[in-house]
Amino acid sequence: MLTVAQDSRGAETAGEWIRAARPEHPALIDRTHRVAALYGMVNVPSSVWIDERGRLVRWGEVAFVDNRWQAYTKSDMEPYLAGLRDWVRRGAASPFALTPAELRRRLSGPSPEHALAAANFRMGQELHARGAAVDAVAYFKEAQRLHPENWRYKRQAWQLTDAERYYGTSFGAEVAKLGGRPYYPPLDLPSVE
Amino acid sequence: MDTTVIVADLAARLRSAGGPDGLWVSAADAQRVGGWELGPEGACQGSRCVPLPLGVVRDGLLDLAGLARYLGQPVVHDSTNDVWVIGESADDLREGLGSLEAPDFTLPDLEGRRHRLSDYRGAKVFLVTWASW
Repeated sequence: MLTVAQDSRGAETAGEWIRAARPEHPALIDRTHRVAALYGMVNVPSSVWIDERGRLVRWGEVAFVDNRWQAYTKSDMEPYLAGLRDWVRRGAASPFALTPAELRRRLSGPSPEHALAAANFRMGQELHARGAAVDAVAYFKEAQRLHPENWRYKRQAWQLTDAERYYGTSFGAEVAKLGGRPYYPPLDLPSVE
Repeated sequence: MDTTVIVADLAARLRSAGGPDGLWVSAADAQRVGGWELGPEGACQGSRCVPLPLGVVRDGLLDLAGLARYLGQPVVHDSTNDVWVIGESADDLREGLGSLEAPDFTLPDLEGRRHRLSDYRGAKVFLVTWASW
């Protein structure tokens, strides 16, 4: 298991959580959200299963360790975690290991707007890191506009500079805007006896 | 003032590059910052070579931003702070995942030790992101 913190302030904000968890796995810190950009992740937690040869097995799913966030996930994590254990035991024979065709179907490649959003988000991070926090806001807003489904762009920006003051919104208000639509894409797992 | 150029997530500093109409850099900086090797027939980045479009070479300088746009890469420029971001094109990102090969990265842990995803070849990896926000 590898965990990766998507935190622009790095150890300053992620460190206390890692120290409290006393992890036995590598707990990495990703100040620029590089992993999320490479893997097309729009929220946390997002998971990827990778086999011994470095090939993708499952991609881009919400992964909590229990059901305490079920109001947001609308997914039961139990079968997901059971599936993970099954794949660890059985590898490619596990019904939870996706076929290349199914995996390709699920990989929603970024559009040019999404790629431009990523560059704007990176600019916002760079400007914030060098002390130009107010200059950064316009780029974070542009990233949010170009890729509205990307919650990373919103939630990270709201942590860096006050959401209500600079973005005129809040997490609760944005979630309410979803109406009935899911906050996380629902899990799509095989039914196993 | 120094110009900061971020290409594929990596930041580099240049001594006053740019100008109002592009990100004009020397051949040496094109190599250092963008990985571009200039030749008579075009520019090569590793094994990938492209013919240079009109208007991106002038007086021995290369417009890195113009070349990036020509290749479909997003370019964002903040003139106040003199920072350029050249991102990956949607096509490149799509191909990266479409190969079904896990895109590689290197990141530090809390103690500063660097971990490369591909160092874990031979073991199954459950990769999961989280955040303090």
